[in-house]
Amino acid sequence: MNRGNRILLSCVYWAFVLYVFVPLLLMILMGFKDSKFIGFPIRSWTLDWYTGVFDDAAVPSAFVYSVVIAVLATMISVFVGTWIAVLLEGRKFLGRTAMFGLTVLPALVPGIISAIAFRIYARWLGIEPGMGAIVWAHAVHNVPFVALVVMARLSTLPKSQIEAARDLGADPIIAFLRITLPYLVPAILGASIFCLLLSFDDFVRSFFLGGYEPTLPVLIFAKLRSGMSPEINAIATIALVLTAAIGIWAERFTRRMSKDT
Amino acid sequence: MSDDVAPRAGRGPDTADRKRLTFWGTLSSWTPYRLVVGLATASPRRQFLILAAFPLLWVLTQHLGPMLQMLRVSFTDAYPVAPGVEQHFTLDNYARFFGDYIFWQPFFRTLTFAGVFTFCTLILTYPVAYFLARHVSRKNQMLMLLLLLIPFWVGEIVRTYAIMILLGNTGAVNQLLKWLSLIDRPIPFMYTSFSMGVGIVYLTALYMLLPLYSALEKLPRSYNEAAADLGASAWTRFRRITLPLTLEGISSGCTLVFLISTGFYATPVLLGGPSTTVFAETIAGFFHVAGDEWPTGAAFATIMFVAAIFLTGAFQKLMNSLRKGDTN
Repeated sequence: MNRGNRILLSCVYWAFVLYVFVPLLLMILMGFKDSKFIGFPIRSWTLDWYTGVFDDAAVPSAFVYSVVIAVLATMISVFVGTWIAVLLEGRKFLGRTAMFGLTVLPALVPGIISAIAFRIYARWLGIEPGMGAIVWAHAVHNVPFVALVVMARLSTLPKSQIEAARDLGADPIIAFLRITLPYLVPAILGASIFCLLLSFDDFVRSFFLGGYEPTLPVLIFAKLRSGMSPEINAIATIALVLTAAIGIWAERFTRRMSKDT
Repeated sequence: MSDDVAPRAGRGPDTADRKRLTFWGTLSSWTPYRLVVGLATASPRRQFLILAAFPLLWVLTQHLGPMLQMLRVSFTDAYPVAPGVEQHFTLDNYARFFGDYIFWQPFFRTLTFAGVFTFCTLILTYPVAYFLARHVSRKNQMLMLLLLLIPFWVGEIVRTYAIMILLGNTGAVNQLLKWLSLIDRPIPFMYTSFSMGVGIVYLTALYMLLPLYSALEKLPRSYNEAAADLGASAWTRFRRITLPLTLEGISSGCTLVFLISTGFYATPVLLGGPSTTVFAETIAGFFHVAGDEWPTGAAFATIMFVAAIFLTGAFQKLMNSLRKGDTN
């Protein structure tokens, strides 16, 4: 169509790719610097910061703590979010719009306000700051994402399949378990991975609802406040590689699954 | 009980090969299960109520509950309530905000910053979304979009730290400028509204890119081709066709990014300085000290939430009227 335009736009795209990747690549490089001082240029290289990560017991334990929280929160969000999606999708009832609005509310409340509201509510319910409170806040915050993803998938389910199952004698529960649920699996898996990453990466809710034990982002934040060091780069790089790897794998996996069904 | 499940009658021949019944067959012929299902699905109305009860209870107590509780606490004089102390209704927490201009500055700064950063994100990501949706083949679109998604799986804190390394006095940008002999002394990017902006745009770009991309992708290419055939220039085509028809994507992207930007706490703490204190830090301050400041924090959070919702609502109304004006 328009060659000049096209070339210009592709330059913009690749510049944007650089913009999103370069800061992370620089951060990774800095983790191999053989000096305590953060800054360029890097003259000599070392792996000591990485071996040091495992000597400091706080890092592996924060990592495990974050993973456990993410898994528990995701299980709750997936259960609740799927249920809400089944209620909302393809059904007309009084107050559906209000129900939808309330469902997506936690995703729209700005981070700090959501953290404050959860903190007050947890106090009111008598939940002590700590793992339970973080799991609960993450679970509530992630429900809208599950509901939206599952609703999108559910809207493409051919109605005739459910009708056929019902005609063959399946009650609504069996029809749901044998037709709807298997059809939703790719969406549920995709949403789970997204929730896991969201929860694992979350800072503000974990920070305000946490007890003495820090999650990984809270630990990195605390270390950053007391000064930059290549040790933080090593920790951050490990977290980065893991989250990106899980994300890429999930993307490929769910794409293949939704193609198959 | 089974009057509404008449089709079940067709299950008659099953008895002949009962041995080969599957798990599901066994389950559906198990009497307690059938009783429960029969009761639950006796009428469409009851079926719906059972389906709706749990989600309704959940959204009311878990989604709306925290917000309402925050609102209630914002009108009290003490929270958490110490034993033996009586809690009173008061408007003091709100009066404290409106009475002391020291709080106005971070408040308006937050809203202004969020607006400016949202606009920057829009300007930055629109060409990228446009390129992906209009100039790339279907197969490559997914790959190239995925490439942009990867950095966004990385957490808020890690990405903020990456920006700190990029912009520090001995950071990559300053070293590069020095190496090019453009500067002698490092430019102090860090702890300014600039570093904060770079960080926030970096964190929110994806939330703008995706709505824009899906809006642009839905736009039929034939519209532009028809306009080109009729002699419209590239700029006219963009202004009269592409832009008006993607206003919906722009509006949802901007709303999302604005709301997210107002809620950042860690990024302004790490990238900003004393001259860029945002309202999130003010609010957080009331929760770090003695408990009796919680109601003030709750009131401030409520004020900010109401302001953010009001502004995004007004913005969406404006976009809607723009959209209608263009189709008429």
